[in-house]
Amino acid sequence: MVNSTNEYNLLAPLLFPIALILGLIIAPGINSSDASILIVLSPLVAFPIILISGQIYNGNDKWKNNLKEGGIIAVSALLIPLLVSIWIIGDNISHTDGHSIITWLSDWIEFQVLEENYVLDQGRTLGIGVWIDSITLMLIFVASFLCFLICWFSMGYMNTDPINENRNHRFYAEFVLFAMGMFGMVLADNFLWLFIFWEIMGLCSYLLIGFYFWKESAAKAAKKAFLTTRVGDVFLMIGLFILYDIYDSLEFSVIFDDPSLQGTVDSTKLFWALLLMFVGAVGKSAQFPLHVWLPDAMEGPTPVSALIHAATMVNAGLYLVARMVPFVVTGDGYNGVEGLDDLGLIIAWIGGITAFMAASIAFVQNDIKKVLAYSTMSQLAYIFTGLGAAIWLYNNNHYYAGTIAFGASMFHLFNHAMAKGMLFMASGSVIHEVHHAHDHIHHENEDSDHHFDPQDMRNMGGLASKLPITATAMMIGSMSIIGIPLIGGFWSKEGIIAETWASFFYSEPIMLGPAILVLLTAGMTGFYMSRMWFMTFAGAPKSEVVNHVKENTPWIKEPLVILTLISAFSGILLSLFGVVDYLAGKSDHLSYKEIIYTLEHAFIPEDGKLMIIGWTTMFLSSIIGPIYASRVHGGPLNDDQKSNFLISWLVNLSGKFGKQDVSDLSKSSLANALQERLYIDDFYDWLISKTVIPFSHFSAWFDKNIIDGIIKQIESRSILSSLQIRKITTGKARDYILMTAVGMLSIFILAWGASR
Amino acid sequence: MILTILVIIPIFFGLGLILLPHVLQKNMAENIRNITKNISLGVGVALFAISTFFSITSLGGIEWLNISLGDFQLKEEGISLIPSIGTSWKLGIDALSLPMVWLTTMLIPVSMLVEWDAKDSHYFHPLLLILEGAMIGVFVVLDLFVFYLFWEMTLIPMFFLILMWGGEDRKYAAMKFFIYTFSASVVMLIGILIMYFYTTSSETMTGHTFDMIVMINNTELIPSIGLRHLVWLLLLIGFATKMPSVPVHTWLPDAHVQAPTAGSMILAGVMLKMGAYGFLRIAVTAFPGSTVVFTPLLIFLGMVSLVYGAWVCMGQTNLKRMVAYSSVSHMGLIFLGISTMQPLGIAGALFMMFAHGIISPLLFAVAGAFKHHYHTLEIGSMRGIAHHSPWLSGHMMLGWMASLGLPLLAGFVAEVAILISFWMTFGWLVLLPTMTLVITAVYYLSSMQKTIFESNNPHSAILPDTMKGEEPRDISWHENVGMLILASFTVIFGILPFIYWDMMADWSSEIMNILSEEMRIRGIKP
Repeated sequence: MVNSTNEYNLLAPLLFPIALILGLIIAPGINSSDASILIVLSPLVAFPIILISGQIYNGNDKWKNNLKEGGIIAVSALLIPLLVSIWIIGDNISHTDGHSIITWLSDWIEFQVLEENYVLDQGRTLGIGVWIDSITLMLIFVASFLCFLICWFSMGYMNTDPINENRNHRFYAEFVLFAMGMFGMVLADNFLWLFIFWEIMGLCSYLLIGFYFWKESAAKAAKKAFLTTRVGDVFLMIGLFILYDIYDSLEFSVIFDDPSLQGTVDSTKLFWALLLMFVGAVGKSAQFPLHVWLPDAMEGPTPVSALIHAATMVNAGLYLVARMVPFVVTGDGYNGVEGLDDLGLIIAWIGGITAFMAASIAFVQNDIKKVLAYSTMSQLAYIFTGLGAAIWLYNNNHYYAGTIAFGASMFHLFNHAMAKGMLFMASGSVIHEVHHAHDHIHHENEDSDHHFDPQDMRNMGGLASKLPITATAMMIGSMSIIGIPLIGGFWSKEGIIAETWASFFYSEPIMLGPAILVLLTAGMTGFYMSRMWFMTFAGAPKSEVVNHVKENTPWIKEPLVILTLISAFSGILLSLFGVVDYLAGKSDHLSYKEIIYTLEHAFIPEDGKLMIIGWTTMFLSSIIGPIYASRVHGGPLNDDQKSNFLISWLVNLSGKFGKQDVSDLSKSSLANALQERLYIDDFYDWLISKTVIPFSHFSAWFDKNIIDGIIKQIESRSILSSLQIRKITTGKARDYILMTAVGMLSIFILAWGASR
Repeated sequence: MILTILVIIPIFFGLGLILLPHVLQKNMAENIRNITKNISLGVGVALFAISTFFSITSLGGIEWLNISLGDFQLKEEGISLIPSIGTSWKLGIDALSLPMVWLTTMLIPVSMLVEWDAKDSHYFHPLLLILEGAMIGVFVVLDLFVFYLFWEMTLIPMFFLILMWGGEDRKYAAMKFFIYTFSASVVMLIGILIMYFYTTSSETMTGHTFDMIVMINNTELIPSIGLRHLVWLLLLIGFATKMPSVPVHTWLPDAHVQAPTAGSMILAGVMLKMGAYGFLRIAVTAFPGSTVVFTPLLIFLGMVSLVYGAWVCMGQTNLKRMVAYSSVSHMGLIFLGISTMQPLGIAGALFMMFAHGIISPLLFAVAGAFKHHYHTLEIGSMRGIAHHSPWLSGHMMLGWMASLGLPLLAGFVAEVAILISFWMTFGWLVLLPTMTLVITAVYYLSSMQKTIFESNNPHSAILPDTMKGEEPRDISWHENVGMLILASFTVIFGILPFIYWDMMADWSSEIMNILSEEMRIRGIKP
């Protein structure tokens, strides 16, 4: 391995994008919105460059190492979007109540439509452009920032694994294309281009999950991801068709802002459009019942999991639903339509069910990445529940509560992305080091153990002293996901749960289901995240390999440290400036008075009922869940092991609650069902093998034997009949005259019939 | 003159290159045979350059966006061929035929490249040139007699391509192809003749003319509505068999599986489009009334082709057969696009013809490369080919993704345009075609994964038995260049569809003006 100080000299090319963006900022006449096209263009151009240069330098060790097999190009290409998005944020953050639009190309497609009165209309166009509002700003930052960090992390994770040798250029190429899809989707100013980039992401997830294409499980997982999301995408497509039919346009500016449309929209039609679009989001964000692809997607390399779960893919569905919110905001100056609150209920229910289901499956997972996968599913479901509540509240004219629900959901997206990106990278660090330690041991004594799984937490334990940075990062990340007060996710999760209950209290009994489910899930999150941490880092080592683990791979630590700081403090800092209102597009400026209001809302809300809910949540998630987890899996480190202060404290604390044996419980049929993912995957497999596959075989048989069979029959019959006809040629003039007469008669009859 | 050159030159060179060696001295003939394929490719590339030149407005000086229906560009008329029956050499090109002509001139050199090392290439490549001339002829002639001649003439080189360079069962396939499509075109000829006998013209001796424009504009001379409908149906049978549409599609899989790679590429890329082109040019334009009346039939044919074709695809185990049935499925979308009676839908159908003409040759080139390098087309017989053939796998992936309608690749715009207008006209019926998109994704992904992925070995593939110990290789340079050209056009027309979309949309609006008039008369709601 190359010396790590030399490694960082390779970053010199990063000066080019920095210089380029600084130059653009200084240059007169160019503003940030002109530069926005660079966000999409830079990774798009980098894609073929990395791919083709990889093919060329693969024989040349010097260039391969200097470029980190394309990693340096990818990082440089992703730095440009990051810098430009920071520039755009700087320019736009101060005027938030509204949006700006930049059109790149107004007539990508032109066509006319035949109207009711049989006249062609003036002609319509579909264009490409950029739409910037507070949600865009937040998501473009999340996407570009995390993509950059994950790409950085990959240079440590991917390039030190010998199996990836000479394949990494493919990884980085697909990585930047994936990033391009996300950037484009977030920036797009109409639903058509949103959908186009959405599908590009589907393609890239397919490519990256199947990066180890020779592994049957990976290839199958990739196919499953593509096809499951494709089912959702098809519904999304139909939803967009209906939307186009209603508004005669797919541009946000027309749909949301055109005052002439107010009151003209048929709410039933719009309901169907939005519902079908939501099905698309369900597929992309892995919600019940289209969630089956997400756990399998863990077959991809760990950076890909981080990318899919934090920076890109799953946020796409949330973003789409967030874009649906303006449809339901009714009242003065808003283009929303009344009578859509059922949509909010459906979304909240899907969210509640998924949150609860995923959290319970996470209880029994032993694969560290699988726990995180189900945790992603569960947390996204929180955001859906929050958005569903927001839609219900807005549509019933509860503006204030709706704003908090919407803002909190968006803020949870931010917190979850930061924490989950870090958690996946930290788990990658664990897996990577355990894997290397295992290779290290078994390289020396020949009988290598092929069944060793570096992702199985039952092989870990006691890693806190070996991987102090990773352990700290994972601790903060888990706290943020659990919602320990004052850390990261707490600030947003509290808002979601409170407003879901609030909509129940506003006399909507159907909302009680999701409200209870998300409340219970808060406690369950406390359990399974703590369980993961304790199983991995606390207690005595559960396998020999652990003793050889070291934390010394370059490129891995920096992203972890940065994201730890962000996860720990972003919640409190951003809440200080009223991020919740800001993201809901309801505040003209950021002000630090907001902190008092937010604290008030979290701990002592005016409504006594909400206060009970809030404190119950905190009690369940921060006390009951973690304590129970520590009783099952906690325990102090071995005596000779030391770690940093924070972790030592937590590990020792975990040993103090006593021990509980759950081996009986883990053999129960419920635990079994949870292990088998509640048999949902099995049910789908069974359904497909009983319907789709037999029917396709039947169709093929039908085509070969019936349709082509009939044609062949006609062919053989015509040979036979020609033999028959030959017999008619008797050679007698009388017969011929008769035939001529019959023929002529029939022609006359035909002509007579035709001329009538 | 340009169009005459495009039609005559390839036929002239093709016939010359085949016949010349037979009349020359032996060593001279040998020399010519050796450079035959180079000459053929040169002619192909030159024709491609010409067609590209005049299709770019700023170079050719033709404003393609503002030509109204029936106003043909580069028009050539004059030479009367058989004055007694009123047929003459008339050529012209408009927004319907221009993309097709460009596509033909592009595909011929590409397919020559892909089968650069065909055996007996001194016959193979000239035959492709003859085919090119005949196909361009179909797209540019404005005289139905000559149209029919070229239409049948395309069968002959294709028949020989299948018969001489085909697979094991080539004789059966060639005969089936020829008889099937020939009998269908005889039905079409009856329709054309009925039109002919009812069209009067003062300029010819018989009082009838084969001039396409005159015939199309005078269909109201056909005395009864019933007879008009009958002619329309006769034409439909001819064109639908060529497209092909279920239930007259069964010649296609056999012909494709047995045809050589270049033959399949051209068959799928251009010859299927002749059916759709003829349908739009003659049946729809001449009988807008019948088209409007028979819209339900079009929906039925299109829907069955699309949905049923996709299901049959899923049941296939042979790669080329699967790709062939996917063509049936995609051609169904063309009928659906026309049946929407919206300019957007018709433009989508036109763009589908064009996009499918780029994508499906890529699919067949990939399938052909499997046959060539791995000697089998059975989908389940190999695994993990990507280890040994990264370029082939890359092309396969791009082609397969393009064909299942991935955005920013050529097929997407067409698909979305057709489906949007389908929703506008037929509402929830759109569920059927859209659900088929999932089926399409299933069979494409499954077939791809079972061949190029999943070997369960990080360094090598599971090779098919047919390799018999042969070392697996990637595709050769000429195959790669051919596929790269197709792949890059797939991406270019995906990102910049407006290159041809705008003129297609314009043409669709023009034809809609006629169709909407018929709809108004018959009280059919748009």
